[in-house]
Amino acid sequence: MSRGESFRRILHHLPLVVWLWLLWMLLWGSTSAVVLIGGLLLAGAGAMIFPLPTVLPGVVPRPLWIGALLFHLLADLVRSGVTVAWAAVRHGGRTRSAIMEVPLHVDNDVLITVVAEITTIAPGTVVIEIDRRRRRLYVHTLPVRDLRTIVRRKKETQDLERRVARSVGHRHGPPGRGPRPDPPSDPPPDPPPDPPFDPPSDPTGGTPPDHRGRRR
Amino acid sequence: MTVLRDVVTAVLFLTGACFCLLGAVGLLRFRDTVSRLHAASKAQTLGLLLILVGAAVHRPLGEAPVLLLVALFQLFNAPITSQIVGRTAYRTHAVDRRRLFVDELADRLARDGTPLHEQGGLTPDKEEGGNPDDTDR
Amino acid sequence: MTHLYTVTLGVLIAAGLLTLVRLVRGPRALDRIMALDVVVTMVIAGTAVGMTMRDDSTALPVLVVLALLAFIGSVTAAHLVEKRKGMR
Repeated sequence: MSRGESFRRILHHLPLVVWLWLLWMLLWGSTSAVVLIGGLLLAGAGAMIFPLPTVLPGVVPRPLWIGALLFHLLADLVRSGVTVAWAAVRHGGRTRSAIMEVPLHVDNDVLITVVAEITTIAPGTVVIEIDRRRRRLYVHTLPVRDLRTIVRRKKETQDLERRVARSVGHRHGPPGRGPRPDPPSDPPPDPPPDPPFDPPSDPTGGTPPDHRGRRR
Repeated sequence: MTVLRDVVTAVLFLTGACFCLLGAVGLLRFRDTVSRLHAASKAQTLGLLLILVGAAVHRPLGEAPVLLLVALFQLFNAPITSQIVGRTAYRTHAVDRRRLFVDELADRLARDGTPLHEQGGLTPDKEEGGNPDDTDR
Repeated sequence: MTHLYTVTLGVLIAAGLLTLVRLVRGPRALDRIMALDVVVTMVIAGTAVGMTMRDDSTALPVLVVLALLAFIGSVTAAHLVEKRKGMR
């Protein structure tokens, strides 16, 4: 292993080690020498014994955008608490919901995870299924009055994804890396259309899927 | 200074407890499991976060990071729990279909002809096109 | 301030009782898992309020442990439910 490579590996592990070290000190609640040195050793050992693959290639963290993302996250949390509380009090058992499909732009495990997490925190939406290969989220939406609500929630989820992609300057993210937030311009890229496959009078169309393996 | 601190804590505690209560009401009133998930994951998280911040404001400075750490755990773990519970709920037929406006996941599965995989995600065995009744385009 | 803490704890207890109703009524295992998760959340909230009320920080590690355990417990239980239904 060349010298530069090993240096890069150490750099790659550094954030994890620092985070573990901070966590250790926080949980002990002291900064005595034993805690400091022991924590550093443990954090280093943990990072070496359980090495993590490089999960985010080509990432440039952008502190400002990350700050904006966190701000949005907290605002979303408040709004979603109010939304669901209002739905519970006002409509209760009569609340209508929907499961919608949200195509994503980003193609990266970590980013999709982050988008799914924040979507669940965002108002009115809970991710119930992630289709990693097709890059789709299936999102349960709670107070749904009409189709327009669904369209709006879909757009909100995709806006959120744009914010996540921008905060790490990801190359799969949509364009518009300027300092100004770009308007939602590009429609989601569709996978190539499949040959027409109409399930003629599919008896399972209205029932949920199960594990028993319907053959195609 | 103490008065201000007390007021902030009072407001945060009371709103937090109210959100916890409203979340519990939602947990009781919503009809199906996935809807209850909304109440459990959002209102509860918000309520707990408010209370933790209220405590962090009032307690000595050294404890604030630990309280915020607990808040952080909750903030990041609640979505994970709710996604796993929601996925399991969908697969174990715990969704009240009469209350659903649209179900694009069922549409997708019906067109795929593939049921859900045992462990993770969907197992498409061919690439799929857009949803014909997708309202987004 | 004492009244405030009492009121906050009262509201939290009311919320906890409502959640217990869901825990008992069920109807599915998932609902119970969820309700249990919420109960733990409320225990954490109540412990934080109690800590502030009694001006005492012995319960601080309890909060951390509860927050971690609730997560692991719920995830494991949900996986068990899924597995059980899958084998049926």
